[in-house]
Amino acid sequence: MAISRRVFVKSGGLALFSLGLDPLFLERAAFASYRPLPSSTVLYRPVLVCLFQRGAVDGLNMVVPHGDPIYYRERPRIAVPEKDVVDLDGYFGLHPQLAALKPLWDNKSLAVLHAIGSPDSSRSHFDAQDYMESGTPGLKATPDGWLNRYCQHDREHEDTPFRAVAFGPQLPRILAGSAPSLAIDDLQAFGLRAPQQSGRDRLTRAFEELYAGSATGLLSSSSQEAFEAVQLLKQVNPDQYQPGNGADYPRGRFGRAMMQIAQLIKANAGLQVAFTDVTGWDTHVNQGSSEGQLAARLAEFGHALAAFAQDLGEKMRDVVVLTMSEFGRTVRENGNSGTDHGHATAMLVLGGPVNGGKVLGKWPGLDPAQRFEGRDVAVTTDFRDLFGEVLARHLGATDLSAIFPGVTPDPARFPGAVRA
Amino acid sequence: MLRPYTSCLVRRHNSARADTERAVISALTPRDSALHALNRLAYGPRPGDIERVAALGVMKWIDRQLKPDKIDDGLLAAREHQFTLLDYDRGKLARLYVEMQRERRDRKRDARAAMDSTVREQRGRRMASEFQELAVVRAALSERQLYEVMVDFWTNHFNVFFGKGADRFLMPDYVEHTIRPHVLGRFEDLLIATAKSPAMMFYLDNWQSVAPGSSPPNALEPSPPFPLSALRRGGHGVRRRVPTGINENYARELLELHTLGVDGGYTQEDVINVARIFTGWSIEPPRQGGDFQFHDWAHDEGEKEVLGVTFPAGHGMDEGARLLKMLANHPATMHHVSRKLCQRFVNDEPPDGCVDDAVAAWRRSGGDLREVLHAIFHGPDFWAPLNTRAKVKTPLEFVVSALRAVGADPDTTPRLAQVVARLGEPLYLHVAPDGYPEREDAWVNSGALLDRMNAGVALAAGTLPGVTVSLDSLIPATGDAEQLILQVNDKILDGTMTENTKDVIRRQTSDIGDPVAARALAVGLAIGGPEFQRQ
Repeated sequence: MAISRRVFVKSGGLALFSLGLDPLFLERAAFASYRPLPSSTVLYRPVLVCLFQRGAVDGLNMVVPHGDPIYYRERPRIAVPEKDVVDLDGYFGLHPQLAALKPLWDNKSLAVLHAIGSPDSSRSHFDAQDYMESGTPGLKATPDGWLNRYCQHDREHEDTPFRAVAFGPQLPRILAGSAPSLAIDDLQAFGLRAPQQSGRDRLTRAFEELYAGSATGLLSSSSQEAFEAVQLLKQVNPDQYQPGNGADYPRGRFGRAMMQIAQLIKANAGLQVAFTDVTGWDTHVNQGSSEGQLAARLAEFGHALAAFAQDLGEKMRDVVVLTMSEFGRTVRENGNSGTDHGHATAMLVLGGPVNGGKVLGKWPGLDPAQRFEGRDVAVTTDFRDLFGEVLARHLGATDLSAIFPGVTPDPARFPGAVRA
Repeated sequence: MLRPYTSCLVRRHNSARADTERAVISALTPRDSALHALNRLAYGPRPGDIERVAALGVMKWIDRQLKPDKIDDGLLAAREHQFTLLDYDRGKLARLYVEMQRERRDRKRDARAAMDSTVREQRGRRMASEFQELAVVRAALSERQLYEVMVDFWTNHFNVFFGKGADRFLMPDYVEHTIRPHVLGRFEDLLIATAKSPAMMFYLDNWQSVAPGSSPPNALEPSPPFPLSALRRGGHGVRRRVPTGINENYARELLELHTLGVDGGYTQEDVINVARIFTGWSIEPPRQGGDFQFHDWAHDEGEKEVLGVTFPAGHGMDEGARLLKMLANHPATMHHVSRKLCQRFVNDEPPDGCVDDAVAAWRRSGGDLREVLHAIFHGPDFWAPLNTRAKVKTPLEFVVSALRAVGADPDTTPRLAQVVARLGEPLYLHVAPDGYPEREDAWVNSGALLDRMNAGVALAAGTLPGVTVSLDSLIPATGDAEQLILQVNDKILDGTMTENTKDVIRRQTSDIGDPVAARALAVGLAIGGPEFQRQ
């Protein structure tokens, strides 16, 4: 597999599963350019989906260290009772509202990274999100995001219009930079808008002609990308999408974003890197335990992830979903039955290539002596080691020092989330 | 980068400058030079502007724009009255914010959480949206166009992120009273104003930078200058954490972004010493106005050295002022900031000649920004045909120039600011301290281009939210396709329409019987099309 990943067809960024394919087929595939390939096509096209839990998710209530009495001692009102925890390995367990993910754990496609975070000690959402997206903790002036730097570094896919897509109204920091990337708020609204399809077609044609004949420079190339994407999307037909295998996405922005990511993956539209946000984790007040505020957010989160995996079915073979959050929260609950800004948190890695069924990373324990500044879960895995591993082992990135400047990439530090 | 030979001449023989200037400008027609000046010093021409500027003489118009106080701006002043935000000073905004946060918390804590948001919360949200919309309205309506362009430039150069905690109530004051009064003054004054501004101090964390080992007098635990709720939204942790040492954040960005530039020749030692010099520069609690406050007790009184210059021991706030003056007049600063100005006004990759001219004017005038701009606008590079229409409009420039082109009237709702945000430039919401980029590759991407096309079509059809458009007085509806194309080229594209665009409009409108619909389509294609994206 390591070799086949390098057999790229320039225009589509496809790596074919088996070697020795008819060269004519390769040529056809190259020629087909942006046309979606039939879903039966045998190809290996690794996809990475990054999800940002903005607001700092409480890693300790998401993946509960129920085997540690300190957890219960420090959180008398908000700890998840032992009887409710969905046990994973006898020590850690999922929050009950993440029960939908348990089958993925059981079939070894879900791994948990605990005690992961930034080497920078900032407890500012703003700084910490910024650092996690720029990939350069402590350095604010980094102009681009690490996902975009990955795209710059591996240019094999550069002419695929849907290669890097952020679902949301703006291009997030993580995808900002010189490599082309799309911000799509809603697939159904991407393109020219007009009340009727005939009006849309007319406008599309007119602007396409305008830009083809009158635009220069970047305006010309970007508009070409845009119309190719619109054209491709028309064949994908986002209005008519029916999730596969009876998958049922939760209502709301996050569920819709996950569904549209699945849709683009299944459409063979050339998607390689997808990103979306999921908010509402800043639980300073009345966080709740098995039920309550955080539980409600986790329920939506877990159901959307489970629906995504179910929808993709066999396709999950090529997909890795990586969750991240800027930091974790205090070990001890605060005076308002909530938690304050902490340090390390937990991240989930999900998908076919994942070395699942394990809680990875070195667990520092909750003993006050082991905590960061005496109060927070200590960081034992630098987030860049996990992100770097996913880029290297899943997407085939070869030069991580270009993507995470300032760190010497060292596979020995990879936490082992993706099968080598 | 190719540079017209003449620019070398100008720099070597200043006496020949005036003649060369005339010669260079005359390469453009009076109409073209008026259009170029309106594209760069203003947010594009309104109907009739090109003729007015050409008739007055473009250099005369530029000189007038450099003296905005002498330009009557009554129309904008009347419109500003509709923005209640301007009735709120920093203290009033801070109190509103504090109370709003408390009410929101109470509401969340209330078991009957279905309660609606309070009147105060709604007012707070309206303030935030008015703040962003006001930027669009001023850019569109002000007669002092260059002044508004410079407000945008400096707000961006000294970027503050509106979404970070207390900056939600500090920032309107920052734009009104820190940036706006200084945009055409001396760079030094502007730099000092930003350094002392609570908004910048909070954004780049200097308010909590203290000398290691220092503690407040009377052994009192200092209360945090901001309500916990404000800190939580992006500040440091909610516990009262007494700062225990220096914070390098402001020091680094001051050197790297505000003054010297990343290659300006400073070291990490310099950054640390700059941070030490600014220890104690802090903010008073918002209930007392949230103003600048210097804390003697937090200041590091030891000796420091920055860029080889010694700052002797025993000084207080005065050494920060001394440092800012030194940085403001440092050659690296002159070059870094002049280059950014040339990038804004001349070309994304500015020719060395115009940067050199700007630096020379800076040196001559002691950093008088009016003189620096004057040098750029009178230099040959500004007028070189190579540099006209060489820049792609930012989302703000695109939206505002489109409004101006059709003579549209924006309202006070946040909807136009939302259009700007959708195109990629949510105002005051650039998180990183470097501000929005000036280069086209930051703005041109396929999704954003499609959105520009949609915005153009909607504006022409009168369906763009937040604005009233009447095309009748500008381009009368006509069944004559050639007449329509002529008018759209003249009024919207200022004569820059390509033959291809004419063909496309001709074809696309040929089967539309309704002249009003044909006009809307033609204008929409023109605004969403490639010619209009350039300036």
